[in-house]
Amino acid sequence: MTVSPIGREIDRVDGPLKVTGSAPYAADYRPEGLVYAYLVQATVGRGTVRGMDVSRAEAAPGVIAVFTPFHPLPLKSPSGESGENYSALQDTAVRFRGQIIGLVVADTFERARDAAALVSADYTVTPSRTSLADAGPGVPQGLVQKLAPGVSSIDAALASSPVTITTSVSQHAHHHIAMEPHATTAVWVDDQLTVYCGAQSPQRAAATIAARLGVEPAKVRLICRYTGGGFGQRSPVWNEALLCAAAARALRRPVKLVLSREQVFTAIGHRAAVRQTIRLGAEADGRLRALSHDSDGELPAAGGWQMMPGRDTSAVAYRTPNIRIDQRLVTLDTPPTWSMRAPAEAPGMFALETAMDELAVRTGVDPVELRLRNYATEDPVEGHPFSSKYLDECYRVGAERFGWSRRTALPRSQTDGDWLIGMGMASALYPAWRQPASARARFRDDGRVAVASATSDVGTGAFTMLAVVGADELGLPVSSIAAEVGDSALPPGGVGAYGSSVTTSTVPAVQAACRAAVKALVQSAVDNPRSPFAGLAPATVRYRQGRIEANGRSVDFRTLLRTMGVPHVEAVSTSAPDKSASQYKFHCFGAHFCEVRVHRLTGEPRVNRFTSVFDVGRVVNAKAARGQLTGAIIWGIGHALLEADPIEPDGRFAAASMADYLVPVHADTPEIDVHWLDRPDPHISEFGARGLGEIGLVSSAAAIGNAVFNATGIRVHDLPITIDKLL
Amino acid sequence: MREYRFERPGTVTEAVRRSGSDTAYLAGGTTLVDLMKLEVMTPGRVLDINRLPLRGLDATGGGLRIGALERMTDVAADPRVRLGYPMLSQALELSASGQLRNMASIGGNLLQRTRCGYFRDVSMPCNKRQPGSGCPAIRGENRMHAVLGTSDSCVATHPSDLAVALAALDARVQLQGRDGVRTVNLCDFYLLPADTPHLEHDLRPGELVTGVIVPRLDWAQRSIYLKIRDRQSYEFALSSAAVAIRREGDTIVEARVAVGGMGTRPWRLPAVERALAGRPATSNTYAAAATATVDGTRPLRHNAFKPELMQRTLIRALLELEQTR
Ligand SMILES: Cc1cc2nc3c(=O)[nH]c(=O)nc-3n(C[C@H](O)[C@H](O)[C@H](O)COP(=O)(O)OP(=O)(O)OC[C@H]3O[C@@H](n4cnc5c(N)ncnc54)[C@H](O)[C@@H]3O)c2cc1C
Ligand code: SF4
Repeated sequence: MTVSPIGREIDRVDGPLKVTGSAPYAADYRPEGLVYAYLVQATVGRGTVRGMDVSRAEAAPGVIAVFTPFHPLPLKSPSGESGENYSALQDTAVRFRGQIIGLVVADTFERARDAAALVSADYTVTPSRTSLADAGPGVPQGLVQKLAPGVSSIDAALASSPVTITTSVSQHAHHHIAMEPHATTAVWVDDQLTVYCGAQSPQRAAATIAARLGVEPAKVRLICRYTGGGFGQRSPVWNEALLCAAAARALRRPVKLVLSREQVFTAIGHRAAVRQTIRLGAEADGRLRALSHDSDGELPAAGGWQMMPGRDTSAVAYRTPNIRIDQRLVTLDTPPTWSMRAPAEAPGMFALETAMDELAVRTGVDPVELRLRNYATEDPVEGHPFSSKYLDECYRVGAERFGWSRRTALPRSQTDGDWLIGMGMASALYPAWRQPASARARFRDDGRVAVASATSDVGTGAFTMLAVVGADELGLPVSSIAAEVGDSALPPGGVGAYGSSVTTSTVPAVQAACRAAVKALVQSAVDNPRSPFAGLAPATVRYRQGRIEANGRSVDFRTLLRTMGVPHVEAVSTSAPDKSASQYKFHCFGAHFCEVRVHRLTGEPRVNRFTSVFDVGRVVNAKAARGQLTGAIIWGIGHALLEADPIEPDGRFAAASMADYLVPVHADTPEIDVHWLDRPDPHISEFGARGLGEIGLVSSAAAIGNAVFNATGIRVHDLPITIDKLL
Repeated sequence: MREYRFERPGTVTEAVRRSGSDTAYLAGGTTLVDLMKLEVMTPGRVLDINRLPLRGLDATGGGLRIGALERMTDVAADPRVRLGYPMLSQALELSASGQLRNMASIGGNLLQRTRCGYFRDVSMPCNKRQPGSGCPAIRGENRMHAVLGTSDSCVATHPSDLAVALAALDARVQLQGRDGVRTVNLCDFYLLPADTPHLEHDLRPGELVTGVIVPRLDWAQRSIYLKIRDRQSYEFALSSAAVAIRREGDTIVEARVAVGGMGTRPWRLPAVERALAGRPATSNTYAAAATATVDGTRPLRHNAFKPELMQRTLIRALLELEQTR
């Protein structure tokens, strides 16, 4: 009897390959005749390139070509969703500091890099708009408003509330800086292009590349079997990858382009800087009467992702009769933005949960109790019930595990030697999203079953998820499943690895594909004249744990396929949400509790411990789930205490390197107690998984900020919370 | 990175003879190679000095003599350093990361370059890198920059932790050049930026650092290096203090105090030392002495908190020192 692997502690199936360095990433491919490209980036914030001197670069050893706006590589303009709204080298405009203005190709990486440093450019400079703080309100985008009958405006609702809180918060740009720097290896064979390039959505990326190069979609194949982190940064295709493919076409030889760490900070989108104001109106007992959430997000003139931090946060979180969400965008001459893990939810919930903590302080209601008093059982704006919500249980279990009852509400009332100790909490939520998805299951005559879907494993564990679900569905050990992702040539309909949706969407597709493949196997067993089951009615033949059985005979599928002389039998299935799903609001929930210490003299804020409890539906792999949730909480530590890239008036990011842009290291990372409720969502799919890649990040920064307040009595609204703000 | 010639001299005299205006010595390479990749340093010739006999840690006759090529890890772990001069061990162990400390040498550490972001970005002007080009830090992002010893040409902080502890200990730097050997006080070895921020050290062309001498100071057994930074590890000091105290009973007889993260060079604070000497070892004394630190500070837009942080760092260091043994 095989035991179902679902929900157990399963090692990554791709782990051994990764730790031994034998998993090929985009830059690891070395096709015959390969040459190397290196970017040249603009060093002014805005203007035009008047001229470029490439003579020294062209004369440098090993240089094959230098492409510039004056000697461009042809690319079509982008249409539809894309990271940037222009194609590089097609004109002389400089839209932001760091924009690509040249590509040097040489016979080695070092020679390309060194020659790139010899390219000089002459600019006409126009003043840049870069400061979000100085920009004033942006252009309204998505107004969400619900007012109770008889209430004329949100301001009226606030004005009539016994207690009001106004909280303004801000954060600078954040960078994804995935472990694998952006890299592309482009190989043309005749008119067929293969691109090795990390991508969150291989099929969409391949389609984009085809469109921008002006070739048939079928001519482009994108392979990203292993991708060293996505976080949103690898959902669009950026100009660098397009130039690499275009250079390979122009030069008729394979080209590789690997960005330096520093280049990734500007050539690839970042999380937009954003300012937000929350206004809460409440009864004296903390029950909300009104919630207003205004935001001004950075939107680069060069294109980017729209920062809308109120929509999936304040419009969903609490039962509130009056809600107004005004999300505005401010056009700036900054490098492009793109979604970054919990893209709007992390900043949005930082704002809301900071304000809720201030309300708790003002009303004297315990922060957990305050949230229970405002508990929403349905979407407060649309009125749809939540498909499944056990956030109250998260609060209860979390408070218990953490020891919340030991907290004292009075700031500066707990110490450990010279350290002030504080405890804080916050609630988390993140939309659950099931996309239509496809998968393929293939019984192979080597005795394994290949389970494939054209999604991407950006380090999250998608390979293992396919193997676990396939093994469970087919009654086989996990090791009998060969998982495949990261190839645009897999059957159409793979989902992008974003929005915490891969597991939610793909599990049902894998289950369907496995069932269909079993059916196909049985059918072929009765149809194939060489099969021992030939001629039987399919209904009398059954599949059980890798074996075909009928009439007292039992044959394993490997033997059966070999006997029939068939190398494999497969099925492709797609799966989409039920129509009935539209009646529900699908969200994941969680509760964070944390303890911090702040030195009474020197003000360093440090996290002592974290307890977080999540309601994310059914979990496929406990080990992978814990990794995702823990990792996201560590991101929250960065969000709260370290990460920020201020931009200078000329458009230069001040911390555009890993030396200056601080992310948490081990010493910043305490014990993190992650726990989840085992509550399958009955409406999202038969399986009941809601996805958990991002929710850990949502509100973990707020919990830290609230704990810092509890420790010090100081409320820091402008992130990150650093020493200088706590002296 | 530019192309360069790579040579490996076998003796100090040969190294010194071979060096010229376009050469750089390579020790651990953790500063040099980093800056070569960024094109901040572009030597035409690199002289690898790792074959030179500049190793060894000698404590005979009191004090320490540390060879320039001793690695940070080894010096920090040496029991004679740990027990006799804890602030040195601590300064080293709170620096960089384990991997870097395994590579990085003591000589290289003293000669590491500033972490000013504009200095490290060749697309920006910088008086230190390109004399006369300007200093964007003065009006730019200067949270990490110096408040002591700055000039209108440069406000860059000296980044070494070790040098701060050595400054407190009256250390001397041993040098060997074409004209022979000489020894200079570490504090004088570092030059103030004035209007020549590109000149950082009292080093003559081709001169090698051969070692560091720490004079005997028995009471340095009671010393501490406290480092304050945004990130708990693997980051340079926002503020730091190296403190040693000699006490008789409850009275402070003598003190050594230097601070890091504050100055354009490691910064010794004799006024604070004087304010501590002869006073009772109490928090009042510490607080009163710490106020002497702010004299002459020149805060910038984003680092106005630094004088205050320096005082608090110092008070905390004194309090923590009191708790050791
Ligand atoms: C990521 C990172 C974090 C760091 N964090 C810290 C920190 O927290 N605190 C801290 O103090 N330091 C820190 N450092 C700096 C580190 O300590 C220095 O890079 C290191 O000590 C330099 O030693 P090295 O032997 O590698 O020098 P090299 O890089 O080999 O040389 C540095 C410079 O000194 C010259 N030089 C070297 N040896 C001699 C000699 N004997 N005579 C004359 N000239 C010589 C070289 O030509 C070069 O100009 C950090 C460095 C990095 C990269
Ligand atoms: S502070 Fe000094 S090192 Fe920094 S930019 Fe100014 S001159 Fe250069």
